[in-house]
Amino acid sequence: MKRAIAATIVFIIGIILTAMTFFATDVYQRDSVAIITDHRIKDEMVQKNKDVYGNVDYTHNQYFTIKVLSGKYKGKQYKVKNVYYSSQLVSQKYQPRQRIFVDIKNGQAALVNPKRDWVLVLTLTLFLTLLTFILGKKSILLVVSMVLSWIIFYGVILLDVKLNGSQIFLIFGTADIIFSFISLAIIQGINKKMLATWFATLLGVFVSFAICYIIMKVTGETEMRYETGDYATQDPRGLFMAQSILGILGAVMDEATDIVSSLYQLIKQKADITAKEVIASGRTMGQEIMGPLINVLVLIFMAEALPETILYLRDNNTISSTFGFTLSLGATQSIISAIGIVLTVIFATLCSLWFLKKEGDKA
Amino acid sequence: MSSLMALIIVLAILMTIVGGETGIRSFFSVLINGFLLLLASLLIAWGANIIIIILIFVPLKLVTIIFLGTHDYTVAKSSFFASCVVCLVTSLIVIVMEHFSQAYGLGPEAGELLVGLSQMPGLNYAQIGIAVALFSTLGAVAEAAVAMSSGLLELKKAHPKIDEHALMKAGNEIGYDVLGTAMNTVLFGVFGSFLTLFLWYFRLNYSFGQMINDKMFVIEMQIMLYSLIGILMTVPLSTWTIAKGLSRKDKLNASKQATSKE
Repeated sequence: MKRAIAATIVFIIGIILTAMTFFATDVYQRDSVAIITDHRIKDEMVQKNKDVYGNVDYTHNQYFTIKVLSGKYKGKQYKVKNVYYSSQLVSQKYQPRQRIFVDIKNGQAALVNPKRDWVLVLTLTLFLTLLTFILGKKSILLVVSMVLSWIIFYGVILLDVKLNGSQIFLIFGTADIIFSFISLAIIQGINKKMLATWFATLLGVFVSFAICYIIMKVTGETEMRYETGDYATQDPRGLFMAQSILGILGAVMDEATDIVSSLYQLIKQKADITAKEVIASGRTMGQEIMGPLINVLVLIFMAEALPETILYLRDNNTISSTFGFTLSLGATQSIISAIGIVLTVIFATLCSLWFLKKEGDKA
Repeated sequence: MSSLMALIIVLAILMTIVGGETGIRSFFSVLINGFLLLLASLLIAWGANIIIIILIFVPLKLVTIIFLGTHDYTVAKSSFFASCVVCLVTSLIVIVMEHFSQAYGLGPEAGELLVGLSQMPGLNYAQIGIAVALFSTLGAVAEAAVAMSSGLLELKKAHPKIDEHALMKAGNEIGYDVLGTAMNTVLFGVFGSFLTLFLWYFRLNYSFGQMINDKMFVIEMQIMLYSLIGILMTVPLSTWTIAKGLSRKDKLNASKQATSKE
């Protein structure tokens, strides 16, 4: 019951924060917050569009009044027109009474985007409430580990911007070493088991990345279309490497933890267990885990490209050119991670052998 | 030979060596999973109803991941059930949150990318956004479900006499381990996936307020949170499914033994 009470408290605090974010007006520096005053927005379909690919879409005009809630023009009202296409790919349909951001210049208000931050706070509230309810006190450790990861991630980004994209391997390699040490130390505490896990994780990340790098070099990085990476603000090839080194870490750590912990239990329970049995057991475990784990990353890396992929296919591009443009980098990143996940089975098993056997010898 | 092809071949060899038969099946589950994603986008691009695509492809992908990727039928069955329920609940959360955040489609940052592409594709991008969120989430859910179910079954094998209550309690402890590791998988997957976007915000001097209201940022963050929420719901649900399933089996066995004795 204690958990239910704690979860309720988290929920109430979260809802209050959500409301505060929803009504926040003066904390934003760039654009002004405004509210759409209409209870019903006048929305008219002005045109049926047919483009060169034969796609049919509809242009709509919305007319509404906004009242500015923050900044220099606070309290002023503006009449605004919003043009959107019904597919809402880039354009946006606005809702009555919605809070939005506007940019006011020369007495004209330009719509920027809807106010979305409070939805993030709401979802975060939902997550933390569930976490508290399911795990109770232990959830604090998980939250601390996640927050620390975000802080380090922030530091890594600052460093990368400062070094302007040079020394990619050094920055992100070091980041991996720190990330894995901190989250393993928080969740497991610093002990032999944790060190074995950490060692297996690092071997998994670096050995597999080195192997993949060599394979890519040997094949001359053929058809590696780094330039298709989204939002590239620095050398896209370096960015891709950095993304691969980061993306692989979580899954490898996940797997190494699972295998080392189970083998540790096994060795503790069966004092007379042979190295051969431990290896066999580690392999069986690895077989069960690796498939689903690889798929997690395949989906995270590839599903994000779906909106673009659909657009390319819609515009009569062939499947192979669409794949090259939108999915191939994500697919390559997934395969690199997959290789890491498979190799970690070996490293995790070997590491548990090495550390745990030594402990047994001494005793 | 392209680098991707070379990497895929190396992966196939490694999975066969390390994983044996299960490894080969897992390899195909990964390939099929990627292929299904492409197929789903093709069908949507051809104008198929997106809701129906979601309803068909989510279970299909779960089947691919769970039944091809694991070799224990009991683990697979209960994982599949738990993942389906979790995906259903997650989809409700996605629909509600997306309605409020209006975060779908592509952001203004994608301008360069959209050159030469139609801005009026005549597709419902709000629904596509739901599909993307669910597809990204279901992998993590399936993985957590498999980890939970196999952990509990191992426990049951080691202590065959364990009762439902003790199993539920053990589920809680296994749940903590599974959550801790699965959350890292998602977190670093997200870091690796959206590094470029975060760098974009920093280099273009977005203010914090601008960033957390930006369409792409909200989309990515929401996907991460949906995955975490999905994993969380999986833990008690798979424990419950396994515990119920096992105790029913026990009762069946007990009654069978009773009848055979008579």
